[in-house]
Amino acid sequence: MRRQETKIVRNVARKLFPVLVLFAFYLIIYGHISPGGGFQGGVVLGSSLILLYLSEGPERVEKKFKNSQLAILEAIGVLTFVGIGFLGIILGKHFLGNFLPIGRVGMVPSAGLVLLLNLFIGTKVGAGISLIFYALMKFDRRAQGE
Amino acid sequence: MSLKSVIRYILVLLLLVVLAVAMFVGMDFGKEYHRRKVSDYYIARGVKDTGAINLVTAIYLNYRAYDTLGEATVLFVAVLGVMYLLSYEKTRDENS
Repeated sequence: MRRQETKIVRNVARKLFPVLVLFAFYLIIYGHISPGGGFQGGVVLGSSLILLYLSEGPERVEKKFKNSQLAILEAIGVLTFVGIGFLGIILGKHFLGNFLPIGRVGMVPSAGLVLLLNLFIGTKVGAGISLIFYALMKFDRRAQGE
Repeated sequence: MSLKSVIRYILVLLLLVVLAVAMFVGMDFGKEYHRRKVSDYYIARGVKDTGAINLVTAIYLNYRAYDTLGEATVLFVAVLGVMYLLSYEKTRDENS
């Protein structure tokens, strides 16, 4: 089983990876202004990691982006979402109520909680997608090794 | 077919008929159905209420944030399930 792609594919994927991450964070951060949002940006984030994994091979990528780190990132995403919800109750609103000022409509730091929640959803979805991919690839390697 | 299963089928059919009648009686096929109060409210007040120009985001992270929490949890549980099910094979191999 070949673990790495050709040099051309690897180079292109390596150059494309930061651009994809930047695009993912653009989608997440501008989620309340233009089309996009946490889920979509998170999927782009996850697929950028998948591209790197497919071109570079499992060893190098799993050393940089460890399975346990991604799992922690995913758990942090969900738990912070719930925590922000309870913070709304503590600060006198309902669950997940908006306790931040709305600000100037159209600017990036506006719309209160929406930006914050988008950020956490984005990291959570990106980590989750790549975790599922890691697990599937590990299963595939094990099945082929037998 | 025994008498018991026949009675059971009849009961299920009866329940289905009752549910269908209840559903269609509750429905209103007239003008009331096309009023779209909620979406009109969102379009009119959405930007002012939430500050988000993207109305879809305004709805799913402000008006319906609780629903989004459920979606995030669904993905979380899916990841947990995949990791659990796919690592099960390995531990079984090591034991045998």
